[in-house]
Amino acid sequence: MSELVLETEKLDKIYKLGGRTIRALSDINLKVEKGDFVSIMGPSGSGKTTLLNVLGCLDRPTSGKVILDGVDVTVLPEKELYKIRRYKVGFIFQTFNLLPYLSALENVELPMEGTGKSKREIRERARELLKLVGLAEREDHKPLRLSAGEQQRVAIARALANNPSIVLADEPTGNLDAKTKYEIVRLLGKLNAEHGTTIVMVTHDGAIASHARRVLFLRDGKLLEKEKMGLLAKEKLVCPACGREVQADHAFCPHCGRKL
Amino acid sequence: MKALGALSRALKNISRRKIRAFLVVVALGFSIAIMVSIPAGIMANQESMQRITENFANTITTMQEEINKTATLIECSTTPNRGMQTFRPGGFFGGFNQTFVDETIVNEIRSINVSGVMAVKEVIPFLEKSSSENISETINTPWGSRTVYRPAYTIIGVCLNATIIANYPILPTNITAGENLSEGDSGFILISSNLTSYFGANVGDAVEINGEPFVVKGIFESLSQPRTVYMNISDAQRVTGLAGKISRLYVYVSDVSLATQVADVIKAMYPELYVTSYQDRLANLQRMQEMYTQTLSNAESSIAQAQATATQIIIVAVAAAALIVFFVMLYSVRERTREIGILKAIGFSNWNVMSQFMIEGMLIGLIGGVAGVLIGSIAAPFFSSFLLPQLNLFGGTQRLQRPFQTQYPGIIGTQSYSTVALTPQLILLTLCAAAILGALGSLYPAWRASKISPIEALRYE
Repeated sequence: MSELVLETEKLDKIYKLGGRTIRALSDINLKVEKGDFVSIMGPSGSGKTTLLNVLGCLDRPTSGKVILDGVDVTVLPEKELYKIRRYKVGFIFQTFNLLPYLSALENVELPMEGTGKSKREIRERARELLKLVGLAEREDHKPLRLSAGEQQRVAIARALANNPSIVLADEPTGNLDAKTKYEIVRLLGKLNAEHGTTIVMVTHDGAIASHARRVLFLRDGKLLEKEKMGLLAKEKLVCPACGREVQADHAFCPHCGRKL
Repeated sequence: MKALGALSRALKNISRRKIRAFLVVVALGFSIAIMVSIPAGIMANQESMQRITENFANTITTMQEEINKTATLIECSTTPNRGMQTFRPGGFFGGFNQTFVDETIVNEIRSINVSGVMAVKEVIPFLEKSSSENISETINTPWGSRTVYRPAYTIIGVCLNATIIANYPILPTNITAGENLSEGDSGFILISSNLTSYFGANVGDAVEINGEPFVVKGIFESLSQPRTVYMNISDAQRVTGLAGKISRLYVYVSDVSLATQVADVIKAMYPELYVTSYQDRLANLQRMQEMYTQTLSNAESSIAQAQATATQIIIVAVAAAALIVFFVMLYSVRERTREIGILKAIGFSNWNVMSQFMIEGMLIGLIGGVAGVLIGSIAAPFFSSFLLPQLNLFGGTQRLQRPFQTQYPGIIGTQSYSTVALTPQLILLTLCAAAILGALGSLYPAWRASKISPIEALRYE
């Protein structure tokens, strides 16, 4: 891990709401390297979503810089930003945000439209991604016929469609039940560990946040100095039964189920 | 790929809300049907005008030629000239009171001299008498069908003199079977082709007329003289019980310059006769021409007025169609704010979003256009007659057409009904216009959609 994918310098975001000034982000200096999985934890109202929106070029900071793949996106004109959102960033939302009238496959294909790929290439890539998130069998299903966890998997596949430099996940487990949310965060961990996907996830859930490599803390728009090591960064064991890598704190092998 | 994707999403979005889509398409369809019906109606009227004008010009030319050819002829008849008869709906065709004069006037007229010159070259008598049997006929008109009664046939007695037959057109020329009548034929008749079934007779067969047997010598075809039986004038006088009577005379003057004077003399001598000379026929033709021109110009101004009205109606229909698309798309943008946010978050540009909604508007317009054409193809005649001022073209020309038709049938055709039909060009034009209208109507909503901030949009519930 050496190449910086994302870097912010003195990022401020100030809102004016009915005469009141709200400082949503204050002096954020963040560095994310290629292949990192950072979770940013904070209570609601701490500015998590604002930070993610600014990082993903959905919103502009009041001051400061956001450098994505070496390019300062804060100086780019509005009409250039869509390219950043299309090619450099993949978004995952709390509410999945799939288009209800499109099938799982079509939802995944959507960001690839107009990228110069042929229809066949797009279809193949979308199928590959759905297979990666474990939904190969459900590609024709519309979102309403998928469970919440499955919908979020589709959203993850969609976020990866154009092979972005960074995936930004905004409370990706916020709408999921206890069992499913771990499946999702493990899926993100797997993508990071096996495919090197760089991920920044914001959440208020400590247990979920701890699945990343690094856990940062946001309070009242400020990034705290303390930083914790996440589970992904911790030492790994090798399962004696199947020979695959397992987190050190696991009681059972998630691959073969053997007691460790 | 992008356009295709946008198109397929637009289709899915439209079909997602079926009832709304249906209502919009029906409303749009009606607006567009009105849009397409009116030009169709106007085109039909113009076409019909043009046809009538052309036919009229042909008729005048033919009549002029006929009149020129028969410059030395003075027609004397006990009934008004058939060409000038007025059309009496519901009455008898040719059912006017028939009157007759003594054939002695033939010699009296022959001896007319003008300024000491024998002015008359030839006088040819005819006896025309309607049969006593009537037939009923059902006539279809634009106002419904009705039954009229008319004599089963007309007997025309002609003077079968070799010199006259050879030099003057007194017998039909278009013999389709058998032979024409010739000098001295007695007991023979010539019948028009449409009488063969009435008499149940063909060439060589015997036919009974007023109780007397006749042999069919020939059959002729003539549009101007349907249901006519030609025979020797002496036979005609006998079977009709009109011995020594005649009903019509062809008076040929020795020189064209004398025609008017001779006609005046005849008029003075026999006030009971309707006399028409070359000059009268020319004057009649001119009158007809004037009446016709007047009617045509009335119809033309009607069409012009109709066009002005039509333009206004079309503007209203176009505005209505555009407004329908406008409001539907505006509502759609509001309803799908979140979707716009999603599209923008995953990398759709403002233009991508705008074109997505414009394609949708265009598609709605196009589907509405197809519906409009379908509705229009059924209801165009209704719409155009309901929305356009009545042109009165047919009614106005019917009266004029009748005499022409009687004298010169086939010249003015019977196909003067306006048929309001959608031409392929008109359909294509309408579909293009509908798609453009859809795009225009969705322009502002689409622009608004493209300007929505992605964050606001994603927050929208």
